[in-house]
Amino acid sequence: MSFLSLEGLSKRFGTHTAVDGLTLAVEKGEFVSLLGPSGCGKTTTLQMIAGFVEPSGGAIRLEGRDLLAMKPAKRGLGIVFQSYALFPHMTVAENVAFGLEMQGVAAVERSKRVGETLELVGLGAFTGRFPRQLSGGQQQRVALARALVIRPQILLLDEPLSNLDAKLREEMQIELRQIQRTVGTTTILVTHDQAEAMALSDRVVVMNHGRAEQIGPPHEAYERPATPFVANFLGRTNLVNGTTVRPEKIWFATSGLAGKVRTRIFQGNHWLYQVETAGGLVTVIRQNTGEAMPGEGESVHLAWDGVPPHATRGEVSAKRTEGS
Amino acid sequence: MSKNGPIALVYHTLFVTFMLAPILVVCFVAFTPEGYLSFPTDRWSLRWFYAIGRYPEFISAFWRSLWLGALSSAIAVAFSVPAALAIGRHRFRGRDAMTALFMSPLMIPHVVLGIAFLRFFTELGLGGTFVGLVLAHIVIVLPFALRLTLASAVGLDRSIEHAAISLGASDGTVLRRITLPLVLPGLVSGWALAFINSFDEVTMTVFIAAPGTETLPVRMFLYIQDNIDPLVTSVSAVVIAVTVAALIVLDRAYGLERLLVGRSVDGR
Repeated sequence: MSFLSLEGLSKRFGTHTAVDGLTLAVEKGEFVSLLGPSGCGKTTTLQMIAGFVEPSGGAIRLEGRDLLAMKPAKRGLGIVFQSYALFPHMTVAENVAFGLEMQGVAAVERSKRVGETLELVGLGAFTGRFPRQLSGGQQQRVALARALVIRPQILLLDEPLSNLDAKLREEMQIELRQIQRTVGTTTILVTHDQAEAMALSDRVVVMNHGRAEQIGPPHEAYERPATPFVANFLGRTNLVNGTTVRPEKIWFATSGLAGKVRTRIFQGNHWLYQVETAGGLVTVIRQNTGEAMPGEGESVHLAWDGVPPHATRGEVSAKRTEGS
Repeated sequence: MSKNGPIALVYHTLFVTFMLAPILVVCFVAFTPEGYLSFPTDRWSLRWFYAIGRYPEFISAFWRSLWLGALSSAIAVAFSVPAALAIGRHRFRGRDAMTALFMSPLMIPHVVLGIAFLRFFTELGLGGTFVGLVLAHIVIVLPFALRLTLASAVGLDRSIEHAAISLGASDGTVLRRITLPLVLPGLVSGWALAFINSFDEVTMTVFIAAPGTETLPVRMFLYIQDNIDPLVTSVSAVVIAVTVAALIVLDRAYGLERLLVGRSVDGR
């Protein structure tokens, strides 16, 4: 039996179905991401697990117990909110101690665990500060420490990194993954950022219109997308003769699909090409190895695995999707 | 911030002069020795300040006004908190009607309220009592208390309370440890604004106050009906001095901008 299971979980707001019969089994210690565009039902799902939204149907079980029968305050879940939701009138230490205080942990034990957890997130020196005196990244760590200190059965992360700038976000991703591995807490992350979901998760749940389109390890979902939606949501794709080809899997060859380079963009570690072919635009990504690359306006031939280059003469359509 | 041009400066100077001139004139007149209102003058005297001592009803009316304002504002704020939390954060049937009801004292002329309360309190046997004054003042200051309390309740991030709940806090604990401290600046501002309105009120109070329960503005109003001497100007000067002193203390202790604008603790 799995650790956490969602069984046919649904939520309707009036006539709108936000979550439509979602079934998911999460193992102990696993890191699972709910990934999808805004309005796909991922946040509603998280709120139902947390207990802030009442499901219209289905069940949520934690180690076999009915979680829906428990009040939100009794579920013992750690939550990191998108806005961090720190208590602005309390210091960092008071924020982190709050959950322990609610559990009735004695003062000595409390300050010991608060200290340990703040060390874990690298904020040992900030105990006396107020949230407004901290940067966004630091506030984020306090929120994480506050959720982890109560040793939650499950850690719920609601778009925790979306308010950080790109570089900091990347650093926090690495750190978040390390911390999660260290403490081993079962974690559910809600995000619209496919790169973030792929970087952090053991498995991703790609959601659309309240349903799970695909559940699987990030690499599998990327390489073998179950639906066109998944293919488009997880990075760039070209749809050629009904098969999807990732732009980085196409190379320039001496024969193959003929085309002409329309644009070439240098992005440091790789080149991004838009190639005009008989059927339409094809996006090509080539790693920057230092070799000379075709320039704009040059005639090229495109080849990729699985399809003999000479056989590709049909309709080509290029799609580009980034998780915004 | 952009600098003011010459026209703007002239405008602001005129505006501030227009606002402050009556107050300054009252203060000047308070220091004149004549038995009537004379301004300008070249002689100065503290005569009319000593005179206040001979009218103990002014002093008792001042304390009564203070207590009336403090009490009615406190009760109005106490009513405002649950009302603001309900109106500000929930959608329910009758919500708009409830808001309109609480705000309605703003629309009704105070003279009408005064006559209505006079009749009503006489029927109830509360005519001319301090309790009657408190009840009537609660009604007129409630919109001011509610406005600022509501502003801070609406601005409150629900996920902060959700965070507290997820950490195991009961509803009562969330209210006491999280919600109330976060709306406190709004409550303090609401109380202050309500107090000012209560202290100031004369149109309604003049109908329902009786000898022995007159507030300071009512006492002054009744006095100038029968007298032409500058006693009321010296009383006014004292009230102005007390107000200025209170504002300075509040500004040092709390920040006036925060008090009157009702900004929350974390500056949002």
